[in-house]
Amino acid sequence: MSAGKNSKRTVQERAGLALNDDFLRKAVRFTTERLRSGKRKAAEEHGNWDEWRERGRQIRLHTIAHLDYYLGLFADQARVNGVHVHFADTAEEAVSLALEIASKHAAATVVKSKSMVTEEIHLNRALESAGIEAVETDLGEYIIQRAGETPSHIIIPAIHKNRYQIADLLSEDAGERLAPETAILAGYVRKKLREKFLAADIGVTGCNFAIAETGSIVLFENEGNARMVTTLPKTQISFMGMERIIPSWSDLEVMATLLPRSATGQKLTVYMSGITGPKRSGDADGPEEMHVIVLDNGRSLQLGDPEFQELLNCIRCGACLNACPVYRHIGGHAYGGTYSGPIGAVLTPALNKNVAEWDDIAGASSLCGACYEACPVKIPLHDMLVSLRRRKVERGYGDARETIGMKAYGSLMSRSKRYHGFLRLGRLGQKLIVRNGGITLKLGPLKGWNRYRVAPGLAAEPFRERYQTLEAELRQGLQELPPEIAERMRKRIGSREKSAGGEEHGGRSPGVAGSSGSTLES
Amino acid sequence: MAEDHREWLDHLDQRSRAKQEEFLGKIASRLRRPRLTQKPRQPYRGAPDFWNSYDGSEDDNLQRFTRNFEEAGGYVIRADSLQEAGRFMTEKALELQAKRILRHDRPALADLGLESSLPEAKVQVWNWNREASEDWKARAAEADIGIIMADYAVAYTGSIAILSGPDKGRSVSLLPAVLFAVIPIASLVTRLGEVLTAFDRTGREGLPAGIHFISGPSRSADIENDLTIGVHGPGIVYAVLVSG
Repeated sequence: MSAGKNSKRTVQERAGLALNDDFLRKAVRFTTERLRSGKRKAAEEHGNWDEWRERGRQIRLHTIAHLDYYLGLFADQARVNGVHVHFADTAEEAVSLALEIASKHAAATVVKSKSMVTEEIHLNRALESAGIEAVETDLGEYIIQRAGETPSHIIIPAIHKNRYQIADLLSEDAGERLAPETAILAGYVRKKLREKFLAADIGVTGCNFAIAETGSIVLFENEGNARMVTTLPKTQISFMGMERIIPSWSDLEVMATLLPRSATGQKLTVYMSGITGPKRSGDADGPEEMHVIVLDNGRSLQLGDPEFQELLNCIRCGACLNACPVYRHIGGHAYGGTYSGPIGAVLTPALNKNVAEWDDIAGASSLCGACYEACPVKIPLHDMLVSLRRRKVERGYGDARETIGMKAYGSLMSRSKRYHGFLRLGRLGQKLIVRNGGITLKLGPLKGWNRYRVAPGLAAEPFRERYQTLEAELRQGLQELPPEIAERMRKRIGSREKSAGGEEHGGRSPGVAGSSGSTLES
Repeated sequence: MAEDHREWLDHLDQRSRAKQEEFLGKIASRLRRPRLTQKPRQPYRGAPDFWNSYDGSEDDNLQRFTRNFEEAGGYVIRADSLQEAGRFMTEKALELQAKRILRHDRPALADLGLESSLPEAKVQVWNWNREASEDWKARAAEADIGIIMADYAVAYTGSIAILSGPDKGRSVSLLPAVLFAVIPIASLVTRLGEVLTAFDRTGREGLPAGIHFISGPSRSADIENDLTIGVHGPGIVYAVLVSG
């Protein structure tokens, strides 16, 4: 819904909206800071974090490089477990499969646990238009579903709402006034959703990892709603991105070490569930019929692309969002797609294959590399952002004025005479517009920059012209210490050597004092 | 109707198998090589070697489990016998004024003796008669307390692991407001990997439908980062470590 609405605006306009929302900015900063420091603490406490990251990366690289084998193995094993596995090339195919299953079961209500893939394919909209009630059951998701919005953070979807807004939304839902207290609001949702869990015809989940060798799917969560959804309804449909595979349960230990620590700073989420097929004969709960829908939707386009294949290693922890200085300012909705933050800035254009339409979100980054540092599987997101920008220009979607500007810059910078000539002209020309050493004019190429800043004027005597003198001064300065300082230091060292070395200075050996003395003598 | 449904599922599966070939073929061609049907050599599998040699003593494990489980908002109790554990649970059940209790169908849990020590409460045993007409999910939903016995516990993450089965319903550890998990100290291990690699050794055939790791009470920080306990699952979780 809002993704469609959003895509008409530019990232700058969407960010402008976010920047004007004071609560949103504070909440995003507070939450990301909390998650980020939680991650830092958890990683430090666990120790050898880089070795774990490297191991995680190796497992993901290996799986993606052999994805046809592992995905095939998963499908075959899951079928033996009694799962109905389906493959969907596009969002439309995935949605129509889900609708077919729902209509065969004459489903009236679907309960959903959090799944970014179902956000990606806009499943709720499709279910609603088929007359099927789709209920998000993650507390945050339930709240934003009531508001008719999309998640603004992978891990904390309702990060942008305060409890007064939430109380208003839920009071409307309840038909009575609920106090804006967390326990009351959460208690209301618990009660309300209990009834839904027990009455729903179908449970829908995502999939954090799928284990190829045993055909199992694994879900990480804190609330217990994913367990409800996979335990109570008679039919279960799990959606998974085709890259969500790992070979074995042994490999799950590495992912279980990296994912919760990176996402929330927890040693493990409250619930980690491995589901291997529908309920067995004799079991008195669990789904009778289980479907897994494997989705491509642009993912295979990254395979074999040396610059973007590693994008498929992502385990959707959200650590890059929390680390990103841009995300921390503008929040998730400004990115305009299902996935936000640095991963969204790369993933959205990559999956949509429409660089032109989404180009501007690749610009929403300072390329500082904090996302790469935070990434538990070491995806070089900042390099990918540069590649995206380059591709956009190569495909002719660049800004014409920017291209002319860059050409002019290239021509100036390649000849030192031209450069000096231009600078001289600039120093003369700027006299008209420089005030107090800065340029505040918001015209032409200066408009964007000077909206929030002051461009500095050119120096009267540029560095390059002062360099010769500076260099000479520097060299002399190094050679000659002012005589009184040199004398003082010599005396000091003399007295230190006499005082039987080391005694006065604890652990320091006389050898060290001696050697520092010798540098002074030269 | 059932026959019709079966036919439809078969039809879906046929469609899916045809689609699978095309889908995996596309992946192989994007990777610029023929379809891979032989198991590739996996150079890095599971946790790093230095980690796999890490093994805590029983005391370390007990301490670490307790610290982690309590940090997550759970409670940890030590008991020397199942009878002692049963006495503790009886006290708690009386204190909480529990009216309905549901437990897994395990001999050890019968030894807790709750049926006789709590005559006022209705203590039920999950799926004891294997009666398909009984709605056990509803019994779990109305229970105040659920009681399970852990198959494993992991010290390093403070987790209880429980495998599903006809006598071990998944709902019992999920729907009641309060959960008691009996943990035989012998089933407490140091690392998560000790439990997970066991599933690899068991293999697909040996796995139950549901394997659940539980590391404390259900929680959420979705409203203004304010920690809420017991959002969907049990809000009060006791880990009862039993020796012997």
